[in-house]
Amino acid sequence: MQEFVNQFFDFGFMAEHFDEVLEGFWITVQLSIISGVLALAWGLILASLRQLPGRGFLPVRAVTIAYIDVFRGVPLLLLILLIAGGIPSLDFLPEWLRLPQWLGKPDNFWFGVLAITITYGAYMAEVYRAGIEAVPPGQMEAARSLGMSHRQAMRSVILPQAIRKVFAPLLNDFIALTKDTTLVSVIAVNEAVLVGSDIQSETFNSSALTLGAIMFLLVTLPLARFVDKLISREQGRFTRGAPRVEAL
Amino acid sequence: MSKTRLTAIFAVLLVGVVSLVAAGCGSSDDSTSSGSETSASTEGGGEPLAVGSDIPYPPFEQGKPGNYTGFDVELMEAVAENIGRTAEFEDTSFDSIFLDLAQGKFEAVASAATITDEREKTVDFSNPYYLSEQAILVEEGTPIDSVEALAGTTVGVQQGTTGQEYVEEKGDAGELRKYPQGPDAVNALKSGTVEAVVMDIPVAENAVAAGGGLEISAAIPTEEEYGFAVAQGETELLEEINEGLKKAIDDGTYAKLYEKYFQHAPPKSIASATHEAS
Amino acid sequence: MENGYSGAQLRLHDIHKRFGKLEVLRGVNLDVRKGEVVCILGPSGSGKSTLLRCVNLLEPPEQGEIYLEDQDICKGPRSGTGEQSWNLDFVRQRVGIVFQQFNLFPHKTALENVTMAQEKVLGRSKSEAKQKGTALLERVGLADKLNEYPERLSGGQQQRVAIARALSMDPHVMLFDEVTSALDPELVKEVLDVLRELASEGMTMLVVTHELGFAREVGDKIVFMDAGVIVEEGRPADVLDAPREERTRKFLGLVLDR
Repeated sequence: MQEFVNQFFDFGFMAEHFDEVLEGFWITVQLSIISGVLALAWGLILASLRQLPGRGFLPVRAVTIAYIDVFRGVPLLLLILLIAGGIPSLDFLPEWLRLPQWLGKPDNFWFGVLAITITYGAYMAEVYRAGIEAVPPGQMEAARSLGMSHRQAMRSVILPQAIRKVFAPLLNDFIALTKDTTLVSVIAVNEAVLVGSDIQSETFNSSALTLGAIMFLLVTLPLARFVDKLISREQGRFTRGAPRVEAL
Repeated sequence: MSKTRLTAIFAVLLVGVVSLVAAGCGSSDDSTSSGSETSASTEGGGEPLAVGSDIPYPPFEQGKPGNYTGFDVELMEAVAENIGRTAEFEDTSFDSIFLDLAQGKFEAVASAATITDEREKTVDFSNPYYLSEQAILVEEGTPIDSVEALAGTTVGVQQGTTGQEYVEEKGDAGELRKYPQGPDAVNALKSGTVEAVVMDIPVAENAVAAGGGLEISAAIPTEEEYGFAVAQGETELLEEINEGLKKAIDDGTYAKLYEKYFQHAPPKSIASATHEAS
Repeated sequence: MENGYSGAQLRLHDIHKRFGKLEVLRGVNLDVRKGEVVCILGPSGSGKSTLLRCVNLLEPPEQGEIYLEDQDICKGPRSGTGEQSWNLDFVRQRVGIVFQQFNLFPHKTALENVTMAQEKVLGRSKSEAKQKGTALLERVGLADKLNEYPERLSGGQQQRVAIARALSMDPHVMLFDEVTSALDPELVKEVLDVLRELASEGMTMLVVTHELGFAREVGDKIVFMDAGVIVEEGRPADVLDAPREERTRKFLGLVLDR
């Protein structure tokens, strides 16, 4: 047991390597926030494209659905490897696209962001869709009958309601995304896991990995509690809402 | 010494118990047996010898499960045979390979492992069976042909290897990218995300042979020696392995394998290095 | 008959509409004069609601013509596809509709419900829209509920906001689709009072309803529909008290016996 504790819970060791691991986790945080924001936006765009009405937009809808199906089905790890290996080899792209160095971050960081955004955009598009479909069709009819265009109705009437309904599941996806950023360690992005296993391979002590896990929990646990709170509040609204109408 | 051994056994017990509980399996017989947790197969007749290796790392270890080949693999098989055992390879990750060995996940490591003082602290090494140099692998025509020329460039290595150690200590790389797998570093070089890769020469040679416009721009003598590793305190097994290795060198098996995988005769020094130490 | 816009503000000619195999409207003809209040009665499934939704092109008819102020609104590029076409704006700016289920925007206050389309569609300024919206909500008796969200309003209050919302677009014709059917009985009157007032002000109205008393009192014309066609139409007194058709008699008997 002592061996186990020394191996994984050597607090002195953790203190010694705290700065290194924190630096790695800071990369994790940056990856999560940048990819998370992009995936939220991209997912919303995909979900909106999927809702375009009429025969004229059939090809757009078909392409969008195909995109969502494909990238929900391809493992993120595989996509990361494909993008990191493929994009730099595309000679016809300009160098700033093939080997992006934006915001002082190296190219593999951005390949990670791209892969995560592509995959989680597809996941989140489905969450948005569930929200859009949960808005009663009468809302769209009411908006259109007042002369609003489909676009105006989506933006001012449908999406605000849809997003409110799926805020909690979106946040859940964001938590999953945060954890999945560790996959970019395969393309040598110095995030929490790579730093931890690097320290492990040098020192034969796994406590740095445990420290990384603790840092993850410090972020994900409060988020998860927050999601629970949102969900119970949403349910509370429904149970309290009905009698309130009667009372008036 | 015996304390280390006890804790190692205890660790195995712990892992065994935990996995049994996790599997919801009631039988507790397995956890009382010693050492290896790989199930026995009776291919070679002898008692199985569980060997950990990070596969693939051609030409040292390569192939598919059940059909692994490579210099390490075949040499270890010959060594095991010489001591009446049957080597059974288990694919594992290099960055935790010595840890797993110390915890008794397998009995020996044959994974192009360089003998270093740091590693000697956790495991015991056999006599060297291979003398290695590091190579700087680049795309053809790249003017990075020395350790000094690595300065300011983006360099790829496999995480946890001596290549990484070497660059961290001697090369003033602009950015060091540590890939979990050696081939990933080579792929990164091919796609242009790193400018050079520092890795063991034979592996680099293999990468060049596979095509794709790569070349070895410089060989760096590091006086590296590869050895098989066993858990600390496993003196008996270590002696057996050394004996089996000596026998393989003496009867010509070693030279045959060396030529098979490196296309030239083994350096004379390997025999003396082996004999000296034993 | 061809007496132009002042004679028939809205004219339906041979309207057909099907949902899959089900033909919901099977050739409907109807003229509505300016300022006329037409009450449409009929059993459920007779096609009354679909007829209203045809008029503002929420469900464009597959066959037939609809003339709104002498414009044939069913013709035009991509008409019948449910997509935006040149006549959609023309129709939606002239025809308002109020639904059975109110369909208020739950994330907006009563006032915002009434101002939103004014700003977005008619391009009115915020203050102009607010002024107009406030006046409309006062008119339907909700001056004290301007900043309430729909979930805090009773069904009758919500429906009155919905009427104000439709009126905010200055429609020439108002469609009412069973606007009191989802309401508790004690709340029906406050909504019908608003309709009454509108009628007295000369609004052209098509009212699908089950309220026979209201139809008799306010309606200029009663239309009885069954199985996708108009069975009988005429002045309230004639249709309600001396129906010519057997189906009308049967329906009225059922409703009155209730």
